[in-house]
Amino acid sequence: MTESNYASKQMTLQEAIKKYVQSGCSITFGGFIGRDCVAAAHEIIRQGIRDLTVIDDSKTDVMDLLVGAGCVKRWEGAYLGYGAIGLAPNIRRSVEKGVPLKIELEDWSNAGISMRFLAGSLNVPFMATRSMLGTDIIKYNERVKVINDPYEGEPVALVPAARPDVAIIHVQRADVMGNAQVWGFTGNDENKARAARHTIITCEEIVSTDEIRRQGNLTLIPFYCVDAVVQVPFGCHPQSCYGYYAYDVLFCGDYHEAAKDRDKFLKWLDHYVLSSEDHLAYCAKVGWDRLQKLMGMERRFNRIPG
Amino acid sequence: MSETRYTKSELMAIMTAKEFRDWEVAFVGIGIPLVAGITAKRFHAPNLNIVYESGCIGPQKYRVDFNVGDSSAADGALCLTSEWRVFSDMQCGYYDVGVLGAAQIDKYGNLNTTAIFGEQDYYSPKVRLPGSGGGNDIGSNIGRVVVMVRLEPLRFVEKVDYLTTPGFLDGSPGARKKAGLLGSGPVAVVTDKALFRFDPQTHEMYLDTIYPGVAVEEVKSLVGWDLKVAAGLKTAPEPTAEELAAVRAADPANLIMGGAAARKSLAGLDEYIEITIKNSGK
Repeated sequence: MTESNYASKQMTLQEAIKKYVQSGCSITFGGFIGRDCVAAAHEIIRQGIRDLTVIDDSKTDVMDLLVGAGCVKRWEGAYLGYGAIGLAPNIRRSVEKGVPLKIELEDWSNAGISMRFLAGSLNVPFMATRSMLGTDIIKYNERVKVINDPYEGEPVALVPAARPDVAIIHVQRADVMGNAQVWGFTGNDENKARAARHTIITCEEIVSTDEIRRQGNLTLIPFYCVDAVVQVPFGCHPQSCYGYYAYDVLFCGDYHEAAKDRDKFLKWLDHYVLSSEDHLAYCAKVGWDRLQKLMGMERRFNRIPG
Repeated sequence: MSETRYTKSELMAIMTAKEFRDWEVAFVGIGIPLVAGITAKRFHAPNLNIVYESGCIGPQKYRVDFNVGDSSAADGALCLTSEWRVFSDMQCGYYDVGVLGAAQIDKYGNLNTTAIFGEQDYYSPKVRLPGSGGGNDIGSNIGRVVVMVRLEPLRFVEKVDYLTTPGFLDGSPGARKKAGLLGSGPVAVVTDKALFRFDPQTHEMYLDTIYPGVAVEEVKSLVGWDLKVAAGLKTAPEPTAEELAAVRAADPANLIMGGAAARKSLAGLDEYIEITIKNSGK
């Protein structure tokens, strides 16, 4: 759904967010609490974008930051938690106390929301699933419709296609045309890119189109789905990026601890995001040495050939 | 009797690990359920294949994961694919067993991971929890479901505030099938004090196995309904030294079982990396 296919869609993160992410738009993010677009979320916060509707499966780090910074009006999704670390502090503060803003919630299961992106990517109005039946998810979310299957008569849940205004997806490698190659799990990324009106690819490395052609099987998202390509090394930190760097569980733990307190969260946000001019400034504050260590650790386990 | 000391979390992980069988395909969430899966894999079920909802099928467990999308979830995997594909495979019935946690559970094994209402409601709850994630999908579609939850006040309730994941719904005959659900529902609830199972006729949860040193009355006092006790109530064996070693090897930096306190006791990133690599068996 790109407006036109230029030879190069490469731009800076600032340019891409400014061009495609507007206050009041709906947005989805690639990854799955792993390969998350954390750097892009930082830039959305820096640009003061507000009233976002986030449609997503499981994307805690990005959501906790955006909600804490007051950028989100509504969330349609499945999971907002820090896995083994704990609950999401800014989500809790928003939903329980309305600080800084009370976000609207629409709960789905991960399979249910996955089917919404699949429907969006197929350009059909809805998809059927056997999830969520008989539960309060359906009681509180009237957009899940339970019908009897018109062929066999058994109950089945219908979910509407998701069509966000913009998808931001971080990948390992892309070329300037926008062919995006992914190693490791792929989440719902191929469908998010196709369901969204505009797609921004952020990547660890930009490679030549000839390099893409050497392993076309790895292109999860072809150029015609893509509007912008941005190179953002370490763009997922503190999340992991398969083949590039491991999860920084200690940094994430420190964030989680700080974010439990509103004032400490605002200090964290000011230090790492608002007073960092761009992602390179963030990386410098985290420490290049630390990032190199995470890279060294990941490469003990997973190495991208070539 | 073994004199080896162990924590409640370790015993929970060991009891859960016993629910996995060799060659099964298990859909496992993050946290202690994963430690149980890794323990089973390194102990009695070496051919257990774990599936993560991010799209990772059959990874080698060199490292423990903190999120289902950590790069470690993909280490040496048999297949790396998409989220919607593994949920579709679940719906097709390829997965044998799922393990879930919960904040609240009722007597029919229905789970709440969405919100604790307190004096309020869904829209302004006392505690907003993470939501379903893949939990509802596991409870809806997988053949056997094992639930892990601590036996603490207000967790085992007559009625959950929000029914996120289906157990036996209202417990009536055929309730799951009538709703359109595929899997056969929960088979075990593993806690830090006892293990519960479900009556095949009434679908009501009953006390099946009690842990060493725990009194039946203590268990009953922590359950919010009139709990039935199995006629042949069993006592769980003390964990063996080998079982404890397997659990500890699965979480070598103790960051899952030990939480924030363990995280703070680490000297820093270097120590964490060193422990992880040393214990990876790679």
